[in-house]
Amino acid sequence: MPLVEVNGNACTGCGVCVETCPTDVLRLDADQKAFMAYPADCQGCFVCQWDCAYGAVRVHINDPASTSDSP
Amino acid sequence: MAVRLETDVLVIGGGIAGAFAAYRAREAGARVLLVDRSYFGRSGCSALASGVYPAYMPGDDKDAWMRAFGGPLVNQPLVAKSLPVMHEHVLLMDRWGVNWVKEGRKIVRMGAPGRSFANGVWMAEGGPQMMMAVRAGVVGSGVEVLNRVALTELLTSDGQLPTSGRVVGACGFHTRTGEIHEITAKATVVCTGPYKFPYPWPGSTLGYMPIDLSGDGIAMMMRAGAELSRLELGGINLNPDNALSAPGLESLMPSGAKWVDKDGRRFLEDYDPKRMEMTQRALLYFAIAHQKEKGQVPSMDLREVSPERMQLIRRVIPIVVNNQEAMVGDLTEKPVPYTFQVAGTSGIFGAGARVTERGETTVPGLYAAGTCTDMTYLPGGNLPFCSVTGDWTGRAVGAAVGSAERPQPPAEQVERVTAEILEPLQRRDGGEFEPVHRRLGELLMEKVGLVLHADRLDAALGELRDIREHEVSRLTAQNPHELAKVWGLAQYVQVLEATLRAYRHRTESRVAFIREDYPIIDNVNWIKMVVVKQENGALRLWDEPMPESWHDPHPVRPTQNLHLVFRNQEADRAAR
Ligand SMILES: Cc1cc2nc3c(=O)[nH]c(=O)nc-3n(C[C@H](O)[C@H](O)[C@H](O)COP(=O)(O)OP(=O)(O)OC[C@H]3O[C@@H](n4cnc5c(N)ncnc54)[C@H](O)[C@@H]3O)c2cc1C
Ligand code: SF4
Ligand code: SF4
Repeated sequence: MPLVEVNGNACTGCGVCVETCPTDVLRLDADQKAFMAYPADCQGCFVCQWDCAYGAVRVHINDPASTSDSP
Repeated sequence: MAVRLETDVLVIGGGIAGAFAAYRAREAGARVLLVDRSYFGRSGCSALASGVYPAYMPGDDKDAWMRAFGGPLVNQPLVAKSLPVMHEHVLLMDRWGVNWVKEGRKIVRMGAPGRSFANGVWMAEGGPQMMMAVRAGVVGSGVEVLNRVALTELLTSDGQLPTSGRVVGACGFHTRTGEIHEITAKATVVCTGPYKFPYPWPGSTLGYMPIDLSGDGIAMMMRAGAELSRLELGGINLNPDNALSAPGLESLMPSGAKWVDKDGRRFLEDYDPKRMEMTQRALLYFAIAHQKEKGQVPSMDLREVSPERMQLIRRVIPIVVNNQEAMVGDLTEKPVPYTFQVAGTSGIFGAGARVTERGETTVPGLYAAGTCTDMTYLPGGNLPFCSVTGDWTGRAVGAAVGSAERPQPPAEQVERVTAEILEPLQRRDGGEFEPVHRRLGELLMEKVGLVLHADRLDAALGELRDIREHEVSRLTAQNPHELAKVWGLAQYVQVLEATLRAYRHRTESRVAFIREDYPIIDNVNWIKMVVVKQENGALRLWDEPMPESWHDPHPVRPTQNLHLVFRNQEADRAAR
């Protein structure tokens, strides 16, 4: 399972990644920081990482915390 | 409160086919609304494409194109007609800001597997940059865009599905707010892309990104009474093991990538020793699947790719490279294991509504383009054939809607459809998405699989009907995001049923279409269209011959051979 890591210090809450994520995984939390609201639907396409103008996003394709056969 | 919108042309889906359809219809003076369930420019296959737009350029040998993109089921005169349009599209996209790989100011092209000449225009920043530039061009032309609205049902003048009248728009919901959207239009153009098993899990043989394409448009068109074809021709695909990214073959193969097994042996020796890595795609798919089933760990070996080429590849297919590196680390040191994808997808070949070259389906008011159609039997869903069919459809629709009326759907139909759309949100005692999704995936992998057989297909169809009637129809959704997934699964099972029936209907094998009970590759009987239509609540299938003119100038060689997989089995038996 891919994992998207958002650096809370760098995220300005601009909302671009929330707008463009193809599978609509991301939302802004109460502090206006992006987070994975629907982590199971992340396809690891890196769009959020490229679209963030502030370098706040990093995509990890293999989240070590998830087991490989989980859907 | 429902959102009610009116337009001349409703385009459903903003991949490259939808983008060109919308652009050309707008250019003809129509009001155009493009609706996407995701974000136009970031959605569908087009935005995730692996960096290569194969395009004809003036001066090319047309005959070489016909040979490279030909095949028993291809409409050759239409391929010839599409060639200059591709070139026009490359130049138009250049003006829109697509960053093509150039030498100085000249667009350069590279070779590709299965083709004897350089034909691929490479995207210097991959598919994501291409589609954002296309988006800018299309939006700049005055096309209106609505994102995050999943349309789930077509509306008709008589309120019936299938209709004896015409399609007059579509209905769906916002995937964040759940708001119902009712859109009426003089013409509706479905461009919802290929159909795949939705939300495949990494490491399975269920496919790759985009993970949210579930055949919505194909299912909607089927319910409206449109004839479908080419459903049985999807079959195997490839992707890196344990990742959801595409195979990247178009750019990796001509760059010197090799296919090796677990002992480092180049196993294509056994399949196509002459062309090796540049063999045709279908044979490559088959070879990888075959090796994988034998436990040989087929892997892509990039160790001999030059550093300069590797640098370019990183820019052209960033998604593929990023995913591969996440799996194995440095690609110049270690091969990347690949897996295949089983049946139950139209892959990138195109399957769905039967269309004319003007994009007309068999239902009035309903048009379609790109990979949710049979692509009028163009060679398949490469980006150029999608943009070309979108272009032709957009022009035809633009000309047709000028003075046309905009009939309204009966209020009862809108009411009924609205209630159906929202039902999973209101159901209290239904099932959850994941167990049903899991059961369906397992059905595909275990009961349908790679090598097909009538008995197994019948068993799978029986179980599929059970899943559809007792589980999918009772799914619940906690919020609009989940509602989109539930609806995707519901659309998918309908298209899957039609596809399994079409698999069952064929009685020949082909390279990547393997029937254990019909092991003969039979080019003569293969040449036909299998047409599927929903009638009186059931599916009707029939064959139609392909017009002879489609095989001009290159007639098909009649051959009858045992399929390679069964020849290999016989050889294995003899060796034992
Ligand atoms: C990962 C990948 C890499 C590829 N690489 C290449 C390549 O390098 N070169 C090449 O020539 N071909 C490539 N292909 C094939 C090619 O990209 C596709 O065949 C082509 O992009 C399909 O275009 P399309 O417009 O038909 O569909 P898509 O681009 O898939 O667009 C369909 C659109 O419809 C929308 N949609 C779906 N359902 C609904 C609904 N219910 N309501 C509203 N909107 C909806 C989707 O969100 C999407 O935006 C690749 C395919 C994949 C999957
Ligand atoms: S794009 Fe970057 S800055 Fe903007 S919300 Fe997303 S993470 Fe934050
Ligand atoms: S990697 Fe892709 S799917 Fe995952 S959150 Fe980022 S944009 Fe969305």
